[in-house]
Amino acid sequence: MTATLPKSAAAPGTAARGRTRRAGARMSTGRLVGIVAVAVVFTAPLVWMVLAAFKTNVQIGNPAEAVVFTPTLRNFGTVFEQGVFLPAMWNSVVVGVVSTALSAVLAVPAAWAIGRFAMQRFGNWVLIARIIPAVSLLVPWYYLFAQLELVGGYTVLVLSHMFVSVPLITWIMIGFFAGLPVELEEAGRVDGLSAFGAFLRISLPLATAGTATACVLAAVFSWNNFMFALILSGENTKTLPVALFNFISYASVDWGGLMAAATLMSVPVVAAAVFGQKYLVAGLTAGATKG
Amino acid sequence: MAATTLRQEQRRLKWAMLSPALLFILAMIAFPLLYTAYLSTTDAFGAVNAHRSFLGLTNFSDALSDTRRFWPAVARTAVFTVAAVALELGFGLAVAMLLRRPFGGMRWVRTVLMVPLLATPVAVGVLWLLILDPTVGIANHLLGLVGIPPQPFLGSVAESLPTLILIDVWQWTPMMTLLLLAGLSTLPEEPEEAALIDGASGWQRFRLVTVPMLMPVIITSLVLRSVDALKTFDLIYATKGPGGGSSNEAETLNVYAYGLTFDYQEYGLAASVLVLFTVFIVLIVIALRRRTAKDQP
Amino acid sequence: MLNRRGLLKAAGAGAVLASAGLSLTGCGRSAGGPDGDLRVVLANHVWTTAIRKRIPEFSDLARRRVLVSTMTADQLSSTYNVKLNASAPDVDVMMYRPLQEQLLFARNGWLADLTDRVAAQPGYDWADFQPASRERTTVAGKVFGVPVVTERPTLYYRRDLVPDGRPPATLAEMFETAARLHNPAAGLHGFVGRGQRAAAVSMFSSYLYSFGGAFTVDQRSGVGTPEAIAAYQYYGRLLREAGPIGATNMSLEQITPIFAQGKAVFAIDADAVYRNFIDPATSLVGDRTGFGAFPAGPAGSRPFNVPSWGLTINAFSERRDAAWEFIRWATSPEMVLALQAEGVPGARLSAWRDRAALAKFPPDLAASMTAGIQTGVGADRPDVVQVGRARDIVGRPLVASILGADVVAAAVDASQQLDAFLVRDARQRKI
Repeated sequence: MTATLPKSAAAPGTAARGRTRRAGARMSTGRLVGIVAVAVVFTAPLVWMVLAAFKTNVQIGNPAEAVVFTPTLRNFGTVFEQGVFLPAMWNSVVVGVVSTALSAVLAVPAAWAIGRFAMQRFGNWVLIARIIPAVSLLVPWYYLFAQLELVGGYTVLVLSHMFVSVPLITWIMIGFFAGLPVELEEAGRVDGLSAFGAFLRISLPLATAGTATACVLAAVFSWNNFMFALILSGENTKTLPVALFNFISYASVDWGGLMAAATLMSVPVVAAAVFGQKYLVAGLTAGATKG
Repeated sequence: MAATTLRQEQRRLKWAMLSPALLFILAMIAFPLLYTAYLSTTDAFGAVNAHRSFLGLTNFSDALSDTRRFWPAVARTAVFTVAAVALELGFGLAVAMLLRRPFGGMRWVRTVLMVPLLATPVAVGVLWLLILDPTVGIANHLLGLVGIPPQPFLGSVAESLPTLILIDVWQWTPMMTLLLLAGLSTLPEEPEEAALIDGASGWQRFRLVTVPMLMPVIITSLVLRSVDALKTFDLIYATKGPGGGSSNEAETLNVYAYGLTFDYQEYGLAASVLVLFTVFIVLIVIALRRRTAKDQP
Repeated sequence: MLNRRGLLKAAGAGAVLASAGLSLTGCGRSAGGPDGDLRVVLANHVWTTAIRKRIPEFSDLARRRVLVSTMTADQLSSTYNVKLNASAPDVDVMMYRPLQEQLLFARNGWLADLTDRVAAQPGYDWADFQPASRERTTVAGKVFGVPVVTERPTLYYRRDLVPDGRPPATLAEMFETAARLHNPAAGLHGFVGRGQRAAAVSMFSSYLYSFGGAFTVDQRSGVGTPEAIAAYQYYGRLLREAGPIGATNMSLEQITPIFAQGKAVFAIDADAVYRNFIDPATSLVGDRTGFGAFPAGPAGSRPFNVPSWGLTINAFSERRDAAWEFIRWATSPEMVLALQAEGVPGARLSAWRDRAALAKFPPDLAASMTAGIQTGVGADRPDVVQVGRARDIVGRPLVASILGADVVAAAVDASQQLDAFLVRDARQRKI
């Protein structure tokens, strides 16, 4: 690996040209079919979910009305009428953004240290946090945070989400940093950068694709985190997944309401994903032309 | 002289970079870990503060000799994890290779790919419960259109675990795909071009050039996904209810520990199961890391 | 010198000490004190929907803000479990299941003693509550909760499909009709009922009682008796031969859509949820659905009649007086009557005697409910501290029966397990 890279470092232009040439070429039918199949498989159930958001419970249980039916907006009305959904969404956004950002600040340097200096044992320690089942955390944490009078506020939610995100981001980034050749940083040192500077200006930009992916995944996990929110959140800090469960009542699931709520829950994240794709793609092409 | 200062500087830096994350994690798990370990040696029941007696390792021997619930749970956990992760890695890699090179509409396909990840796992479970409902679900309706008789899916003892594995694969393959795509994007082009020039076929290039270079990312994705899959809870609980179903057909270790804690309030036994579970996972991770350590650069 | 080993030791020790220290200092946590907001935790239920609209009235009366959390029954259980284990003061009024949690919570000392409070106010009339319900929330002579909903199983049936448009009077008749009309190929099932072990045991209890059986007899297991075995066999056969596939994964949430889609002739489940079966928004066959009393078995028609939900006060609450004010308001004779008129079956005899309120239920449902109150048994699950384990033990023969396995062997095995369990459980009962 180290043998091949200096070659590519010397010829960034060739790589770029090669890529453009391939992008312009027509896609094979096989590939097209494959991509369409993938798109269908992964979206079909969710398309069904979105359709169900516009149906009454009777229609949902009727397979004959799967695609052709008279839509209704009732479910969305139910979702908003209790005034719980929008505040919950706000809480999810706040907790998600803050916990992901703080987690990245802690995790990315740690991952660099572990990957760059092959500190395997610490990589395992970081993973321990992810290994521990949430069940064993609930009562001790609740007790601890109740003592600190933090229960019900944003702090405790952010901390518990960070507990999930820091190991996740660290673990993902270890692989990326480990794959970077040491020579690049050393070249930077020769140019006068400090060790930290080499990390900041050389390794970090090269790992953008990994960082972006890791942060996106961490944000998604935070968005969907249910168990910690259920126990640790208060009335004003309830996040979306907890609010979602208002639709599972004693007698029957309000399927329409549940699907509507689940759809609405996914909208901001899908929007962010479409928007964020720009950075992901930019990160990817930057990585490709790094040489 | 200059080299020694460099090494000292690097050592200080690496500890400075690592400490915040490490200390944060240690602070958060120290109390719960110690507490769980302590509980596992008692017969705590009902309330954690209630009177309890010290049992030493009795809970552990009870758990390890329990062939009704504990060992079947271990077996199910193993089957579920191995099957799900293997499929997710395989499909994930295939899809990543498919989407690797840029094409029109790439951004949309990648977004679409993320969507199964975005739905809350519990909502996904409930959604699939409805889709796969043997009587009013659309899955059997579609099967009926091609002449296949209605299947019980999650309503059957034998079919439940496989069905759950497939739902898990549906939900998490996108995560593997995204990680592998990011990994693929950081690979240099030259080795593959060189192999192409040397006359290697697509499959040979993939197997002998791409995969070895991608190995660090494959390993980290594999370990990450395995740890999560071992702990799968939301999906099983949402679709099968407490105990992993009427005949415990989907009861994995995590589900069993949850049931012991919240359904039976047998905290001592639950804690011992959790300790054993954690130990199993740690051993698996160590084994995985050791076997693949030689692939690290 | 920043040496690796030193740092590791320091970090580890520091983290442990910090966590332990923090947990031990107990820097006096509070949740607002006696004048703070009242925190009420409720389950998703028809009662909750009905009372929620009225809470602003209470807020005005008591001049205190009320923060309401609602969640599913399972989440409620886990929440209580975590919070009460940590002696949390941030919950005041709790909605709970007397049959599931009463003994456990009382034993743990998590519930406030309401004995004096229920007797104190004239006009509150504690004696007005159904005796069986009152008994359920009383442990060792102390009152720990106030029932708010009572439930009985009722027979939901399709008037247009049964012979003579009349409901079957006996279980044997119901089985015969269901088996005859069962035609899954045409999309019609004779019977739908719960088959998922955890949820089915409570519904099954009515069948057990109607066959002359009981979960426990004189503190020993009753599930190995011939009557119990007959009940297990009946229920399993009913679901096997006249029920939908996948019955062992079905609970109320799966039953309702099947019946509501017109795909079943009979269903037996809680009467409190009758709206889901007849409301046109959720049911295609609402206009053709009738209600009947629980059919009679060899020992008569003996459905359960239980207080499925009650309200209680967290023993660690800092606002117990205000919490009691809320409970008193929500369970006063006037409120219960008003809720009953909205279709929420309560626990007060006065509300059941009120003709106007009773007339708000469909007439055949009202008849079924009244019959259930008269002949009903006051429990739908084993009367033990550790209800979860007991439920799973007695549920195993039920699942075996539905799956067509050897019921007798399963029942004998379960009976032995239950005997051993009852001995252990009895030790836990002390308050």
